[in-house]
Amino acid sequence: MKASKAVTADRPSQHGFLYRLNQNKVLLIMCVPAILFFLFFSYAPMPGAYVAFTNFNYNGGIFGSPFVGWRNFEFLFTSGQLTLLLRNTVLYNLVFIILGNIIQMFIAILLNEVACKKFVKVTQSLMFLPYFISAVLVGLLVYNMINYDYGFLSNLVRSMGGDMPKLYSDPNTFPAVIIIAKLWQSTGYGTVVYFAAICGIDASMMEAAKVDGANGFQRIRYITLPCLKGTVIILFLFAIGGIVKGDFGLFYNLVGTNSVLYSTTDIIETYVYRCMMNTFNFSQGSAVGLFQSVFGFVLVMVANGVVKKLDSDYSLF
Amino acid sequence: MKKKVLALFLAAMMALAATACSNNNSGSSSGDSNSSGTTGESTGGEVDTSEHVVINYMTLGDIPTNQTDAALVELNKVLTEKANAEIALRWIEWTDYLTQYNLALASQSGDLDLVVTATDWLDAWPNAQKGAFLELTEDLLKTNAPKTWEQVEAAGHWDDCKLDGKIYLIPEDTYTQWINHGMFYRQDWATEAGLEDGIHKFEDMGTYFQWVKDNKPDCIPWDVQGTVSGGIAGLSDAWWQSHTDDITIDGFGVTLFKGESKDDPYHISKYLLEGDEFVNFAKTMKEWNDAGYWREDVLNNKTDTRQAMYEGLSGADQHHTETYYTTVRPEMDKKQPGSDVGMYYWGEENGNLVKMVTTHGAMAVAAQSQNPERALQVYDLMRFDQEVYDWMNYGFPENYTLDEETNILTWNDDYDTTTDAVTFNFWGGRNDEMQHKNSTYAWEPYEELQAEYDEIAIEYPYGQFVPNKDNLPQLENLSAVANQYMPQIAFGKTDDPEGLVAEFRQALKDAGYEDAIAEVEKQLAETYGE
Repeated sequence: MKASKAVTADRPSQHGFLYRLNQNKVLLIMCVPAILFFLFFSYAPMPGAYVAFTNFNYNGGIFGSPFVGWRNFEFLFTSGQLTLLLRNTVLYNLVFIILGNIIQMFIAILLNEVACKKFVKVTQSLMFLPYFISAVLVGLLVYNMINYDYGFLSNLVRSMGGDMPKLYSDPNTFPAVIIIAKLWQSTGYGTVVYFAAICGIDASMMEAAKVDGANGFQRIRYITLPCLKGTVIILFLFAIGGIVKGDFGLFYNLVGTNSVLYSTTDIIETYVYRCMMNTFNFSQGSAVGLFQSVFGFVLVMVANGVVKKLDSDYSLF
Repeated sequence: MKKKVLALFLAAMMALAATACSNNNSGSSSGDSNSSGTTGESTGGEVDTSEHVVINYMTLGDIPTNQTDAALVELNKVLTEKANAEIALRWIEWTDYLTQYNLALASQSGDLDLVVTATDWLDAWPNAQKGAFLELTEDLLKTNAPKTWEQVEAAGHWDDCKLDGKIYLIPEDTYTQWINHGMFYRQDWATEAGLEDGIHKFEDMGTYFQWVKDNKPDCIPWDVQGTVSGGIAGLSDAWWQSHTDDITIDGFGVTLFKGESKDDPYHISKYLLEGDEFVNFAKTMKEWNDAGYWREDVLNNKTDTRQAMYEGLSGADQHHTETYYTTVRPEMDKKQPGSDVGMYYWGEENGNLVKMVTTHGAMAVAAQSQNPERALQVYDLMRFDQEVYDWMNYGFPENYTLDEETNILTWNDDYDTTTDAVTFNFWGGRNDEMQHKNSTYAWEPYEELQAEYDEIAIEYPYGQFVPNKDNLPQLENLSAVANQYMPQIAFGKTDDPEGLVAEFRQALKDAGYEDAIAEVEKQLAETYGE
């Protein structure tokens, strides 16, 4: 309401803007739900980030609680763990992003080459399913697969005369478990995105290539992959904003209180959770969230700037 | 141009958000002044109950699927008749309960009235400090909950409920219960293991576990979960309590601060930092781990230990005395006849036992409560009205017979606890005077234990101590350090226990443990003089 008033208030100087508004009104109306969503769930709560600088109490609320400056951020920096946590968080995310995208692209291309539409549909749905399974269940599933005493895989290995590695006691191999679980969960989702992008490639190009005698691999190499470049870059830019944010649900449910594994599996979220589970301090929790968001924001700006410099067609803005 | 519009637009959004928040604030403060206004009126004398109100009662527990809802209807009839009020239940389910509980209090908007709380296992004090609870003035209590006021006053327990001289909690101080933890084990197996008299010291547990390991191949000696509430505390606190005179101070969320002894309670023990006792613990646990007394992957184990014990798949379970005689012992007698389950309680061998804090169960009134006076009236009935009490604690009278003379309550033969019980989880004001003796409980072993407890147990020395965590900025990192090292030490997940302890000690020091100890001692001295 207020926003529209503000806009109409300086009507004379806004002629160009209003004109364009009118020109694109159909597009804009289609965007309205998304705009409203971000307005209410992203922009409107933003002033609330102030809570990270207060000693929060229920009576004062967010803006009435005493201001304490940077105190809520201190524990993260005095812990001596921040480097380790940042390293783990960023490395995991890099692996998720790089490996994830490669696999998703690979499967999308494979699916595209399959002629039987029914098979494609069924495969897509099945691959999508793990995305909807909660992390708690994933944790249980993994435990029941690989636990040393009674796990399914352990029994299998043992019955074949082998010896199952003690995965839950080995910080060096456990990251592989996390990565596999994550990829299992997210591949189906990403595949759909790439599959859609491939479907959007102009069919006449493919036909032309076929006529020119390009074989299947050549078509993939010279048409499909270059056409996916834009999608890859955009997904990468989106992902990089969250590079210091970890998937708490997954990590917590896979690792839990198993501190033997912390050196290679502790991420910012799980560490903060352990700090907070005994004190329940909203302000400090918000402080960490703010830190991660600002860090992610800077990264996105930098990455976008780099992309823009290299090829402005592919930058986000 | 574009930027200007965007800026204006953002500014407008900010303004909108800010006004939305301040609206909330003014709304709540007017709510406050309203309620204090009515408080003033009611203290004038007569209690006004002309308006029918709904009191929202928040407690912990999974949403019941038994007869609770049906009993609630009946209970509300009684409450309507006696106080022109009814209660509505609000459950905080066990999954991640502390977070859910604190969030519910933080986001209250007049939708909560009576809140079950506790200073040791729930964050009663931090929440009171943050303003989640209404101050209970003497007038408010005397007018609306006169019997409660009198009972607690006579016992001299209001001091345990004060923060900065103001009362915020009503203690469940007249309900006898023993919530001291220990290990439940099968006496039939212990006898075969050569422990004819049962387990009476920590090291005996090792003997017992070893016997189970050797003789019961399908059974894990202790199929415990490696979580803080599961096994970590069970081992580390157990050893600590059984091998020293140290006394736990509640309210920090993490067990790092214990008083030296009952004679010197206001100095903090350095057990974790120095001395051999903690090293011995680490070494013993390493032996136990290597001997296979728990699963190799214990830290990720998700087994329900108690269920496993019922099914004969776990040789032991760890919890407190109440659980022992009300639940585990009777269930085991049914499911594993002849198991003759016993309990070894922490501190048994050295007589280090402390009675629980009077606010282990307590009731608070939510700060935003619309009807605090009425809530207190209902509370008084919950605590002192036999009819109300019976509905909340025992359910439908058709299900049991009560022997007036012995006060023994016997359940009908077709009574099935899973479907016929009621669960109001009224843990904020049970009252020995109102209690019946449940015939299914294992009274005999309980009374034996109780007699022992009564002989050795001392009063909880820190009843009036409320830690001021604002001056303990080290707590977060200390908590992280403890949560990182304790699981490994307690379950022997290391090749070099001594080295790990040394590392843990260094990490504690780096996280400011020594400063924190000094601060806690200072705060104790402020509370208790000296």
